[in-house]
Amino acid sequence: MRTLIEEFVLEPGTGKALELRKGQILRLEQIEGGQCLDFNCFNLDDYKEFFHCGRTRTLHGIHPTRGDFLWSAPPRERAMMYILADTAGANDVMFPRCSANLYESVYGYDAHTNCQDIQAEAQREYGLTPDDVHDSFNLFMCTGVDENGRTYITRQVSKPGDHVELLALMDVLAVPNICGADVMRTSNFAIRPAKVQIFAASDEDFAAVPPLRSWRTQRTVADFKVKAIRTERKLARDPDYRPEFVNTPIDYEAIEIALDAEELALLGRLARREQYGDRDGEALRDIVFSWWEETRPIG
Amino acid sequence: MAETTVTIHLNQQQKDLLDRTVAAGVAPDRIALIRLALRRYGELHAEKG
Ligand SMILES: [Zn+2]
Repeated sequence: MRTLIEEFVLEPGTGKALELRKGQILRLEQIEGGQCLDFNCFNLDDYKEFFHCGRTRTLHGIHPTRGDFLWSAPPRERAMMYILADTAGANDVMFPRCSANLYESVYGYDAHTNCQDIQAEAQREYGLTPDDVHDSFNLFMCTGVDENGRTYITRQVSKPGDHVELLALMDVLAVPNICGADVMRTSNFAIRPAKVQIFAASDEDFAAVPPLRSWRTQRTVADFKVKAIRTERKLARDPDYRPEFVNTPIDYEAIEIALDAEELALLGRLARREQYGDRDGEALRDIVFSWWEETRPIG
Repeated sequence: MAETTVTIHLNQQQKDLLDRTVAAGVAPDRIALIRLALRRYGELHAEKG
């Protein structure tokens, strides 16, 4: 059984920073329907680890939904939250948050509700600056890519009662806000309230989360050469800096491969000539690593 | 059987992946693995009849 911890209505034009402990669920629900919400989250113990659209998009595509995770940015790359429910199935990780400049430059507003400023105002409760707002997980936002590769936003499909549930997999500062767009189609030309609930997850909720592997490359501050967070705004060169790039220099070794007639014929058939011309060595290298990628013989 | 030599240039990271694949028992050595990869890739992408 889930236990309700907190419930409130998020009013138009506002957002709220919420401390969510590992094992708690944030449920965001449509009241009237048709309302886009933007969402940011941070590791509560280290705000420099935060939800990353790019990492999430790479693993789950441009419309993350039930069964997907919210991942933190490289070099952390940990699952921060898990999408337990998504009844509208219209979320986006392509578009950046809307901003005051958008409403000024396109519509001429001196002031207009916008996700950047609403997020910044909500995050200010925890001492974060406007620069700490990052690209959001856009909930209840219908987007796509057209045949020319251009991204677009279209009208909302969500109905009253539609909801997204996010299970915290670590302690997070979760920041939902009502998208400020009322002169764009994102929320069908209105700004409406939304219902927010926090629950303690049930055993059934935990059981829904697929097992996660941990990796050495999910870095922590202990792995960093620079551990302290800068406070000076101006950048200055470290005179003692010596580059320590990994695995450098990159050195190529020429390796002779004797191919029999059958293998040579195979190379002739498989070689990507449009890519490599008559450079058989490069064509063979492509085949070897393409085979590896496609079959993953180890690991 | 007639043999032809092809020269493949591999960097240390590429060799590392192949050598770990060899160590896992996929092929007896790096060169055998490269030849195996070619044959297996040929099977995966067989000519359509
Ligand atoms: Zn917005």
